[in-house]
Parts: sequence; C-alpha cells; structure tokens
Amino acid sequence: MTTLTTWIVTLTVFQPLISAAIIALLPQAEKRLVRGWTFLSMFMNFGLTVLLYGLFDPKGPEFQLEQRLQWISDLGISYHVGVDGLAVSLMLLTGFLGPLVVLASWTSIENRVKSFHLALLLIQSAMLGTLASLDVILFYVFFEAMLVPMYLIIGMWGSEKRIQAAMKFFLYTLAGSLVMLVAILAVYFLAQPSGTRSFDYAAFYNSLAPANRELAACLAGKAASCASMSPLAKALGVYGPWMFLAFAVAFAIKVPMFPVHTWLPDAHTEAPVAGSIILAGVMLKMGTFGFWRYAIPLFPVAAQQMRVAFAVLAVVGIVYGAMMCLAQTDVKRLIAYSSVSHLGFCMLGIFALTAEGAAGSAYQMLNHGVSTGALFLLFGFLYERRHTRNIIDFGGVARTMPVFAALFLIITFSSIAVPGTNGFIGEFLVLLGTFKSTKVPMWLAVLATSGVILSAAYMLWIVQRVFFGPVVQVENARLRDVNGRELATSLPFVVMVLVMGVLPGFFLDRLETSTRRYVARAQVGLDVQQRDEDTRVTVLPLSSPTPVAALPAGTSDQR
Amino acid sequence: MLALVNPFTDAFPGAPENLANLLWVIVALPLAGAFLCGVLGKFMGRANTNFLACFTVFASFILSCLTLWAVGAQSTQFISPASGVPVRWALWLDLGRWFSAGDFSAHYGFLVDRLTAAMLMVITGIGFLIHLYSTEYMEHDDGYWRYFAYLNLFVAMMLTLVMADNLVLLFVGWEGVGLCSYLLIGFWYRDTEKAWAGRKAFITNRIGDFGFLIGMFLLVLLVGATEQMGRETALGRSNFSDIGRARAWVTAVHDQGPLNLEVLREWALRMPAETAKDRPGMTLGTTITTEGPLKGKTFGQVLTAALLLLLLGAAGKSAQIPLYVWLPDAMAGPTPVSALIHAATMVTAGVYLFCRLSFLLVLSPTAMAWVAMIGALTAIWAALIAFAQDDIKKVLAYSTVSQLGFMFMGVGVGVFWAAALHLVTHACFKACLFLGAGSVMHGNADETDIRRLGGLRKEMPWTWATFAIATLAITGIVPLSGFFSKDAILHGAHTTEVAGYPWVGHTVYWMGLFGALCTAFYMTRLYVLTFEGKRAPDARVPHAHESGFRMVFVLVFLAFLSVVGVVWGIPELVPGPGGRKVALMEGYLAPAMNLADRLASIYDTVTHTESSPWLGFAIAWAVALVGGATAWLVFRSWLPARAGKPLPNYIALFWSWARAKFYVDELYDLLIIRPFTVLSKGLYKIVDAGLIDGVAVGGTAGVLRRVGGWLRYTQTGNAQNYATVMAVGLLISIGVVLTWVLR
Repeated sequence: MTTLTTWIVTLTVFQPLISAAIIALLPQAEKRLVRGWTFLSMFMNFGLTVLLYGLFDPKGPEFQLEQRLQWISDLGISYHVGVDGLAVSLMLLTGFLGPLVVLASWTSIENRVKSFHLALLLIQSAMLGTLASLDVILFYVFFEAMLVPMYLIIGMWGSEKRIQAAMKFFLYTLAGSLVMLVAILAVYFLAQPSGTRSFDYAAFYNSLAPANRELAACLAGKAASCASMSPLAKALGVYGPWMFLAFAVAFAIKVPMFPVHTWLPDAHTEAPVAGSIILAGVMLKMGTFGFWRYAIPLFPVAAQQMRVAFAVLAVVGIVYGAMMCLAQTDVKRLIAYSSVSHLGFCMLGIFALTAEGAAGSAYQMLNHGVSTGALFLLFGFLYERRHTRNIIDFGGVARTMPVFAALFLIITFSSIAVPGTNGFIGEFLVLLGTFKSTKVPMWLAVLATSGVILSAAYMLWIVQRVFFGPVVQVENARLRDVNGRELATSLPFVVMVLVMGVLPGFFLDRLETSTRRYVARAQVGLDVQQRDEDTRVTVLPLSSPTPVAALPAGTSDQR
Repeated sequence: MLALVNPFTDAFPGAPENLANLLWVIVALPLAGAFLCGVLGKFMGRANTNFLACFTVFASFILSCLTLWAVGAQSTQFISPASGVPVRWALWLDLGRWFSAGDFSAHYGFLVDRLTAAMLMVITGIGFLIHLYSTEYMEHDDGYWRYFAYLNLFVAMMLTLVMADNLVLLFVGWEGVGLCSYLLIGFWYRDTEKAWAGRKAFITNRIGDFGFLIGMFLLVLLVGATEQMGRETALGRSNFSDIGRARAWVTAVHDQGPLNLEVLREWALRMPAETAKDRPGMTLGTTITTEGPLKGKTFGQVLTAALLLLLLGAAGKSAQIPLYVWLPDAMAGPTPVSALIHAATMVTAGVYLFCRLSFLLVLSPTAMAWVAMIGALTAIWAALIAFAQDDIKKVLAYSTVSQLGFMFMGVGVGVFWAAALHLVTHACFKACLFLGAGSVMHGNADETDIRRLGGLRKEMPWTWATFAIATLAITGIVPLSGFFSKDAILHGAHTTEVAGYPWVGHTVYWMGLFGALCTAFYMTRLYVLTFEGKRAPDARVPHAHESGFRMVFVLVFLAFLSVVGVVWGIPELVPGPGGRKVALMEGYLAPAMNLADRLASIYDTVTHTESSPWLGFAIAWAVALVGGATAWLVFRSWLPARAGKPLPNYIALFWSWARAKFYVDELYDLLIIRPFTVLSKGLYKIVDAGLIDGVAVGGTAGVLRRVGGWLRYTQTGNAQNYATVMAVGLLISIGVVLTWVLR
C-alpha cells in the first residue's frame, strides 16, 4: 500500500478545509482573489475526487483506499475513512459540483464574500467526510458539520424569508439526527459486549448481523431457532424496529421523504443558487446514502418488516411530489418539489431490494445531483437577471435567450428521463427493480411508473410558461443571453447528462460490488440462505495498539 | 422449405459482414448532422446547412440501399446469439454493452432484416425527399438551422427505432422521435397555441410510453421466470431436442439481456401456446411458480397483459383510440414535418412495433383481437371526424389516424405483411398529400381553410396533379398503390379467424369497408373543395402561385411512388411460402414474418382460409367509387346549388358534432385533466401547507414553545431546588439501572 492510496481519502476530505484556512487569511475586500482561490481549491478537490475515482478498483474488495488511525481509543472511536462504490461515486459528484458552485455564485454573491466562500469550502469537506467515514461517530460529526455552514448559507445569503427557511431546515434536520444519535449509542451499548465496544462501522455491522440472522430465522417461522435466540437477537426483536426508525427518520428527513419534506421547498426557494445546488446535488443524497449504508444493513429485519410501508411512502413521494409541482407558482419551489419526486425513485429503488433497483437508485442519486443541480443553476442565471421567481413573470424567454433555452431544455429532458440522457438509466433500472421485487406489490410499481407521465407534465409546463409564447413583459425582451462564464458553468452539466446517458457502464461498474453487498445485507432480514462473507463488512484492522476498552481483561496491550 | 422471393440479385457483391459492421453509420450520419446543424448551423449559413442536412440523410439512404440489397441475398446471414443457429436474410451488429445491473443488461445492437430494410427505405428515402422539399419551404425562416437539426435528429432516432436489436434501444428511438416531434410541433414556439400542441403531443405519448415501459418490464419478468423454471425442469428439455440450443438461450438472456429480439424470438419458440395440447412441458398455460410478482399467474396471462400494455404504447405513438387526440393538434408544426413525422414515419412506429413483435402477438389471440378492434374503431371514428374538418391539414391528420387504424387492423388479424405494405404505400401517398397541402399553403399565404381555397386546379397544376393522384391512391382506386395495400388488409380480415374470437375477422372486415367508404368520401371532399370549382371569394391572395422546382420535384416523385407502389401489392404474383402464389411484399417479408406464421399455424391462433381475393377487391373498389362519387356529387353539384339554404337537421347536427371532434378533447379535459389539477392544488393547500406544515410542524413548534414556557418556571435560580431535582433524578436512574441489571 503506497502513501498515495493511504492518504488519498483523507487528503480529498480535508483539502477544502485546509484551503479554507488559507483563504481565511486573505483580506476581506479582495473579492476576486477570494473567488479565484476558492475556485482553484475546489478545482483541485475535483481533481482529487477524479483521482480517487480512478484509483477505486471496480473488481476489488468492497471498501478500498482505507485509512485507520487511533482517535479516542478509550471509547473505541478511531479515525477510519475509506470508500465503497457508492461513496466514491457520490464523492465524485461532490467534487464535480464544487468548482461549478463557485462559478455559479461569481456575481450573485456580493456581500460578505469571504465568509460565503469559507462556508462553501467547509461544507465541501463535511460532505466528503460524511461519505468517506467508516466510523459511526466520525460519520455523525461530519453529518452534523454539514448543517451549520448550510444554515449560514441559507440564512445569510438567501432571499426575503431566509431566516425562517434556515431555521426550519436546521431544526428539522437536527431533530432527526439527534434521534439517530440515540440509536447509535443504543447499538454501541446493546450490541457489543462491554470492553470490546467500538464505533467502527464494521464492528457495528458484524456484531448485529448474526443476531439479525437469528431473528429473521425465528420470524420466518422456524420455532426451534426462536428458542435458542441470543439475548441480542431478542433485544433486536423488541427494540430493532425502533432503532431502525430512529435512523430512518433522520435520513428520511434528509432525503426528504413524504411527509417530512416540507423544509425542502422553503430551503430551496430561499437559498442562494449555490445553496440550492449543494442541497439538491449532494446533501439530499446523504439521506439515501444513510439508508443504504446504515439504516437498512444494520436493521435488516426491521427494514424488511417496514419495507412495504416505506415503498408506499416512496411512491407517494413520486406521485405527490409531482402533483405538488403542478400546483406551484414559483419556479424554484417547483424544482424543489421535483426533487421530492425524483428522490422518491431513489428510495423506491433502495426498498425494492433487487440488484436492478439498488443500482438504479444509486445511479438516480448521481443523476439527480447533475440534473436538478443544473436546473437550479440555470434558473439562478435567470433569477439574477429578473429577480423574480414567479412563473407568470416569464414567457418568451427562448426568443431573447436562445442558448440558455437550449441548455435548459436539454437538462429538462434529462430530468424527465428521456432515453439517451442519464435520467432514463436510473428510472428504468429503479422501475425494473421494483417490478422484479418480490415484496413490493405490483400496483405500487405501476403507480410509480406513472411518474414518467407526471414529470413530463410539470417540466414541460414550466418550460412552456418560461420559454415559449410571446414576450409579454418588457423586462423579458431585454434579457441578454448567457455569457462565457455562465456557459462554462453549465456545459459540464450538459456533457455529464449525455455521457452518463450514453456510457452508463463506466459508472455502473463501480457501483456493482456495493449494490450486490447492499442487497445481500438487506436480505439478511429475510432468512435466505447466504454465505456470511457476502454480507460481512471487512475493513482494515486497526494497526496501532488496540483501544484499552477493547482489550479483554488480563491481556497485555501488545498485539 | 419456403420458396422465397428475391427481387434482387441472389448474391450480394462484397461480404455482408463488412456491411454489418457499418450499420451504425446509418444512424450516426444524421446524428452528426443534427449536432453540426444545431451547434454550427447559424454560423455555416443557410446553403451549407441545407446541404449538410440533406447530405447526411442521402448518405444514409445510400447505405440503406446497400443493406436492402444485402438482405435480399441468400448468402447474408448472422449467427443468432440466442440459439446459435444462423438467421438468414438479415444483418446484425453488436456494439457492446450499454448498461447492465443485476440480471438485466441491454446492448447497443443493430439488426436489419427485410422488415427493417423496408422501413429504412421509407425513412431515409422519403426522409431525404422531405429534407429537400424543406430547403425551399423553410427558405424564409430564420430558424432554419434549428429546423434541420431537429429534422436530422428525428431521422437518426427513427433509424434507431427500426434498427434496434432490443426493446430498450428501440425505446430510445421511440421516445427520441417523440422528443423531436415535440420540438418540431412547437417549432414556432412564440405562438402559445403551437407550443401547447407540442406539449400535448409529448404528454399523450408519455401516457403510451408508460404502458410501453410496463409492458417491457413484464416481458423481462416473463423471460426471467421461464429461465428459472426451465432450469428446474432441465431447461425445458421437453421442448427442445437440442440442449445446447437451450443453453445458448440462457447465456444470451444474461449476456444480451432479456429484451433482445433474438432472445424473445427464441422464447416464443420455447413457449407452445395453450391450444397445442399435444405438446408437453412448459406452455403459455403453465402457472408461474418462481418467486416474484408473477407467481400464480400463467405465462399466457402475463404475455397478454404485456402485449396490451404495448398496445397502449403503440396507441400513443400511432395515434389510436384513446390516445389519438394529439395528432390533429400536431399539425401546428411546419408542413414538411407533418408529412415526415406525422404521416410517413413516426406515427407508424406502433405498426412497426407489432410487426417486429409479430411472433409474440400471434401467441395471444386476446391481444390480437384488441389490436384489431382498436384499429377498426379508430379507422371509422377518425374518418367521421375528418368529414367535417375545414382545415386542410386537419383533414389529412384525421385521415392519417384513420389509415393507421387500417394498419392496426391488419396487424390485429395477423396479416402483418399487408400492414407493413400499407405502411409503405401510405407513407408515399400521405407524404405526397401533406406536401401538396404545404405547397397549397405556400402558394396561398399560409391559408389552410379549404372553404377559402378552391379552384386551384388551374393555378397550381403540378400540385393539383400530384394531389389528385395521391387522393386516388388513398381512396383505393385501381391501379394505384393504396388499393392493393388497403384491400390486402381487408381481404386478410375477411379470411382470418383469430382463435377464440371468431367474430373479430368479419367485424373488422365490415368496419374496414365502411372506413374505406368514409375515406373516399372525405378525401374527395377535400380534393373538390381545394382544387375544383371556383376560387373562393374570401381567399387570402387573389392568385395562388405554383411552388418552385424543388418542391414540385418532390411532389412528382412521391406521386410516382404512389403509383408504382402498386407492384408490391398485386396478389398472386410470385411464388411464396407454402407453394401458393403471393403478393411481392408478402414474399419479400416472408423471412421476417416466418416465425409468426409458423407459430400461428402450429398453435392455430390465427387461421387464414385460402380464397381468391378478386371478388373482395371488386367490392372494395365499388365501395371506394361510391364514396368518392357521393362526395363529388354533394360538394361539386348539390351543395353549390343549395348555396344559402340550411342543411337538413340531422346532417347539421352530425356536422356540428364531427366538426367539434365529438367533444373528446373537452371530455378528457373534464374527466381527467381538470380533476387532476384541482386535486393537485387542493392537496398542496390542504395537505402540504395545511396539515403537514401548519398542523404538524407548526403544531410541534407551538407545543415546544408552550412546554418551554412551562419549563421556564423550573429555572428558579435556586441551587437547593436544582440539587433536589438532581438527587431525585439520580435515584430514579439508579433504580432503573438496578432493575435492568438484576432482572
């Protein structure tokens, strides 16, 4: 193992933070300098994520490029980072969006420029850290660390009702994650024998998995296995659903799933462009990622029990989110609700528990980051020119801004999953996976498929109202088309839309192992025959001295 | 062995494999053209853009001709990935995997057999002519580069649709053409109406695609279940003497993906229908036992469901009941677009789909009956609406809907070759009619109301002559192409029995005959009002002018095709399958329809009785003559003579209903669109803003505020109070822990 492969993840995660420290030293008044340096560091960060993505071996083990260092040994907390296929893909997405976000707010942010860019860099580190953590406490720290800069971005640089929206965003998310913290502690104390307790993801999973198996066997009606259940399995039978729900609520709020989605439209509407892009692009995926990495694998039995209920919520999200779009008068609110609908597909794929569904869901996470991020970006350009979000204030924009209209149209097609764009691959696989699913009833899958009609209905409606028809308002007649910077910001999105639509194999390959593992882990809850190594989390052992707490009594601390 | 017709030389000069390797170029050329026109068209200038757009399609046409030649030769073959046996008269190119996940995968693969080759001729041939026509038609429009980019993209997508070797790639073309249609209908987007028409078309198509998607998923599940169950019963040993062939199929299911056409063909072969009682093993009547959503259903039920869902998809794209409503509105686009997309190619995609999947369709008589009846109903319904339309393009649009209904009838009764033939001839004469209408509009300051045209016979002689020929072709007058193609369908319907649905064939036949009568009537009306009589007094321009060379050339060429197309339909011309004499098209398509015919005859799902077609032809001809003559009398003599007098009541009533398209748009609006919009808005106000945000979130916040208010009283600042609370709390905690530990 070379130094590069050891340190690459850490470097990627903390590089924005270090850059932030340097940029903090720049004078406040030098706006161009601050923007330029932030852009450069974000671009470097993108380079690092690309490198990371390249170093990740699709045929290799599940977790790669790990690094594990002592941290708080007494409590079994280590600094443990590493990536699996999903994490590395989402990190690439995060890195991809980073420099574009800086470019997008080049002219729209004029006050407190330095603080703004520091917040962007902090949030970048926090998001990458959340994805890379393999220690639950480390994950939790990063997960919470995302909140504050985002709260500031919405609250300080947002539009009129920004304070209210920021509060709502903060409280909603915080409430969820506090419940999750309780569940984390519960697993820590409940699942692991005293003295060997660790917050490591592997320890968490591997200690729960056998108990989950026993419980699943018992619930499957094998009376003999019920009698011989371990205390942990019994406890899981009682508290498992609650702990699952504690995780699930935290992540469901983040996704957001119906009915805890109402913070999203407010946050998106009030946030500045950069905030919206980051929020839609990456932050929502922390919810789906959480389900994939934590909630379902840790509590597969409970997840299986509540699977249909969650699938119903996901489908309600798809249909209801789309219907909400049709009722909006505000462009950004509409795009925000379309996120609810799209993330419904992600959740459905996750709860379909088939390889197709899970792969589609993971792909849809990436797609949504690209296409909805781009929608917010593009509408940001328009907002900068017109300072209104009302749909009725537009009309005929295609005439005055033809290039802009073309860009928006391409992204629209991606958003409504026209084949040839990235959206199609994701939606197709999710729906196919849902149809293949044994537990999710078929009428639910059919209902989810109706999302393809509804998405076309609302997206083409908005395109129609904004771009087509005669120019009614004078302001729209004087709009200038996108400039070089704006074009340079949006073209990468268009390229990604097409590349991910035409050559999805490149991205799907890296998701394959994660997908297989995820499905196998979720199936633990079904009492199916499987080999232990299909689900076991194998990670780098801690090379340095074992934490005191982990030592059995009477052994020396040499290993 | 079948004695197959080969209208070309028997050997293809040069190796067919080399040509197969070039199949992707056919698609890539117009695709590149679209990109260049779209990105650089503005800077290249009009002439260069025109040239580029026409050139790419023409080059594709040349390559298509080569493939047509190749698939005409017996030596052309490829090894089917699904069975390991050679497939003759076809080319195949596999460009590798597109995406895969779990058990599913889809490839970039192109397959050209004779059916595809015929479609290629229509798409690139007529496509090129329409590109050529457009260079003149759009010569005053500043958006020419956009127009040609869209048009080239359309051709590329349509080619993808017909050349795809699997349903997923086919779906790319399927939605792609819908996309281009959306862009081109709303080409003049500054006009709100036109832009809305584009959206309506796209969404209606999406409703169809919703069915298409689910149909595909069901097919995936079916193939998966067959494979699973086949594995349990030693790969369906009872169906196959050759176990290696079964293994090849299983490999192909995983490698090529379950939606590959060869995989599906092999599946159809493995699946004897229920009627074949003497065949043991897995049949369509077998109950599915593998775990999954299909458990407990039979293969036949699921297949029928899948086909009916595909029928919904086809109804969307091919404008059949109940999804036909978008096509008349789609006339908002430039007229050449109407000719290419909304008459000749895109709207025939549904017919193509069922010809392509004919081997599946014949396994399900129920689905066939549905297809036939939907087609027959649409044919009559649209024709009735066409009676009373006054917009020249709207009449042609409803006529297209009606003619597509005829093709669906043909597909539904299992005469796939006749449907395909009607598709080809219709493409020629309908394109000619639409372009003729475009020429009329071009020469009359974009006037489309036939009541304000008239008398154009003298002023636009070329347009008149070609329009007249095409009108005769569509009404079915001997010896023009429409006659034999339409009557082949009617004859097929008359002599066909779909198993379990004995009434379908005859019903469809009589309905079709009535449809033909209506066709003759409204087409003659259109022709008479536009070209005969005197020029209308309220015409937009005093004198119409004939169009220029490029437009006229295209019209003449298409009219010529509408005449010579008859060659393909003359019955009993060449020796065909089973030793009987068949029409050229039937013989030509025999290799492509081979499997469907085989399955249909083995399992008796479709029975064709042999009978001489000539008597039926005479009846159909008489019907067309009667319809045409009636319209001629009514609109040439009777109505002008009664000018100013009101029509009889029953006619006036029918007329006003037909003119209003029987209020179907209004009905959909009232029953579906409005309730849904109201429901959305209501849900937003009540559930989202009211219940969730107001009651739940707001309520929680309120409760917390109040609780916080109460808790404030505990913050007394008195250390003794705090200590008491601490002590009590500690005691309780210890108690809880102790009970937990000691339990």
